[in-house]
Amino acid sequence: MSIIKGKNYRYGIHVKDMKELCADSPIEKMPAPKKVYISMLQHIGAPAIPIVNVGDKVKKRQLIGQASGVISANVFSSVCGTVVAIEDIVTSSGLKMKHVVIENDGGDEEIFFDNIADFEPATIIERIRLAGIVGLGGAGFPTAVKLSPSTQLDTLIINGAECEPYLNCDYRLMIENTDDIYRGVKYAARALNIKKIIIGIEANKPKAIEAFGKYPDVEVVVLKKQYPMGSEKHLIYCTTGRKVPCGKMPFDVGCCVQNIKTVIAIKHAIEDNKALSSTVLTVSGNGIKTPKNLRIQIGTPLEDIIEYCGGLLDDTVKIVAGGPMMGKVMVGTKSYTRKTNSGYLFLTKKETSLSKPSNCINCARCAFNCPMRLMPMYIESAFLSGDYALAEKYGAMNCIECGSCAYNCPAKRSLVQSINMAKTKIKEMKNNGRK
Amino acid sequence: MAENKLYFYSSSPHVKSKTSTRFIMGNVCIALLPTLIAGTIFFGWMALLFVAISVASAILSELVYLLICKKTFKYFMDNFDFTSIVTGLLVGLSLGVNYPLYAGAFGSAFAIIVVKMLFGGTGKNIVNPAVAGRIFVFISFQSIVGKWIVPGGELITGATTLTNLFQNGFSGNLLDLFLGVGLEGCIGETCKLALILGAIYLAILKIIDIRLPLIYVAVTGLFQTCLMGFDFNLFLPSILSGGLILGAFFMATDYVTTPNTKIGNYVYFVALGLVTAGLRVATGMEVVSFAILLMNLFVPLIDKFIRPRPFGFKKTSKGGGK
Repeated sequence: MSIIKGKNYRYGIHVKDMKELCADSPIEKMPAPKKVYISMLQHIGAPAIPIVNVGDKVKKRQLIGQASGVISANVFSSVCGTVVAIEDIVTSSGLKMKHVVIENDGGDEEIFFDNIADFEPATIIERIRLAGIVGLGGAGFPTAVKLSPSTQLDTLIINGAECEPYLNCDYRLMIENTDDIYRGVKYAARALNIKKIIIGIEANKPKAIEAFGKYPDVEVVVLKKQYPMGSEKHLIYCTTGRKVPCGKMPFDVGCCVQNIKTVIAIKHAIEDNKALSSTVLTVSGNGIKTPKNLRIQIGTPLEDIIEYCGGLLDDTVKIVAGGPMMGKVMVGTKSYTRKTNSGYLFLTKKETSLSKPSNCINCARCAFNCPMRLMPMYIESAFLSGDYALAEKYGAMNCIECGSCAYNCPAKRSLVQSINMAKTKIKEMKNNGRK
Repeated sequence: MAENKLYFYSSSPHVKSKTSTRFIMGNVCIALLPTLIAGTIFFGWMALLFVAISVASAILSELVYLLICKKTFKYFMDNFDFTSIVTGLLVGLSLGVNYPLYAGAFGSAFAIIVVKMLFGGTGKNIVNPAVAGRIFVFISFQSIVGKWIVPGGELITGATTLTNLFQNGFSGNLLDLFLGVGLEGCIGETCKLALILGAIYLAILKIIDIRLPLIYVAVTGLFQTCLMGFDFNLFLPSILSGGLILGAFFMATDYVTTPNTKIGNYVYFVALGLVTAGLRVATGMEVVSFAILLMNLFVPLIDKFIRPRPFGFKKTSKGGGK
């Protein structure tokens, strides 16, 4: 109905968005691989506990990992087959996690939930919790917890900004599955008892803006194309004009932000009785033969994905899980799709930056562009000299790790890395102080 | 597929802008070229030689310093970021051809070794090396102070256009003053047209924020005319004479010695303008480089007190908010 222009926010950067690599390729369903490796920790919080044993037969969407606490999520099998191993695997991103390995037998037996009894908020939230839905934008915070805030909220914001370069999965979903998103949003709004629904979309996605224009009760806010528009705090500011105070959460200003993929998962869980077992991600970069948007079963090995996309080119120097600004880099191809993955990027030497850091020349480009209005160079120098208290004083804990500072740094300093480590040290310091 | 191939590992972000320190400093060198050409036209080949010697001396000093510190030649080549070329150029351009040829070399060596390298190299210096080098030469060669060469090679003693301004007022052609025709002074400061062209080039590349030097120039001019009895006919002559334009666009805008916030920068450049105009009127001399040197020392203070507020900052939360 109403398409309005979002509030301007001055601080941020303009990155070459490289979305044209696969913006127009529709989402393809990738066939299930021979073996899936399903991680038990695909969310923030406590890992799920495997409830199957080696040799067990499992069906598709069968519960294999039970949530172990409030901040945790169920994990489901994504194929039909036999459990061949439950082991700790060190993936290429350097983390050791428990994986359930299932050999696909090609069967198509699926397990569905029962039809939902009613559409009361409590029932909806319970279903979302059962279906193992977490924030699919990357953080992986259990959605059921996010949908049960302690105070009454008034605005539900859907994050359609997708400000990360290269990634197109949200964009494709917005124009291909518009109706699913709409229905999912309505359930989420019902669970929160909220009337006002806003979807924030960056101005470089006119098709998506048009697609959502037809719903009478959804307000489409067109955001300026700028990085990091998709950051929760900036999205809230640009769509509603509210500022989330330092160290506070969106619910403190009466907002709840949900990701596109999350609301689609909510729709599937409630209407189609399906648990979360697949995800949509973008495989892109100049290092892969054919960049694609794929619907992938959770647990699919990265090698299978590379093969499906035509293989790697020789000049690939970096593999990134996620977007190029905030994604995690991987040393090899030993990685398995998780719920929260939004893309795999294969970057060539030309695209990525391999230059070594040199002395800071005090140009203050990091500070001029910091969307949180911090002074990254001071935090970095405080961290490097070991003065973590000073780093905290400069506001290190407010950093959202968007990478705007390091993007612009002419001396190519690893500002984000330093600030991240400073944050870890500050947390450690505080924990020690408490003991 | 290469199973065991290891890929590059680093922290995010994985894409970075193409602007590097070399790019910035290289473009500052390019922006100074019109000035160098104008200087050569007005003051002859000796001017070019003078600047070339000071640039060579700057590069050589950096190399020698690194070699003394037991670094290799390869290290020097890998880390060479054109800052010493900029320093050498500015030292050369801000001196006159009436100085002996070795004076430029002397100033550059002082600028690089004492002011820059001893403090830790690029980005660590407290004051602008070029300004400090220039002042070093200025003070060391006292016999030459107050003598200037006008284009054509004639050495004049006594009043320059600026010092004349304080005593007798302005009597000359503004256009000549702007273009530097027949004007006495340093190699790089006479032709304002060339300097402004260079500054516009840097502004287009977003290397300098053109508003800041403009504020400096405007504040200096206004305050000076106010101090000299509100004679606004003196406004243009006072900003176009002396080394103000060179100092404002190329020396005061040095990243290392300017504050790190937008507001801090405004404060700094306004204060710089006030100090320059005040000192000019008080001493009756050209003091742009002294003013810059003086104000450089206040930069850490400005940075200490003027800091941006983090997004979502509330007054009640202490220390940048938690």
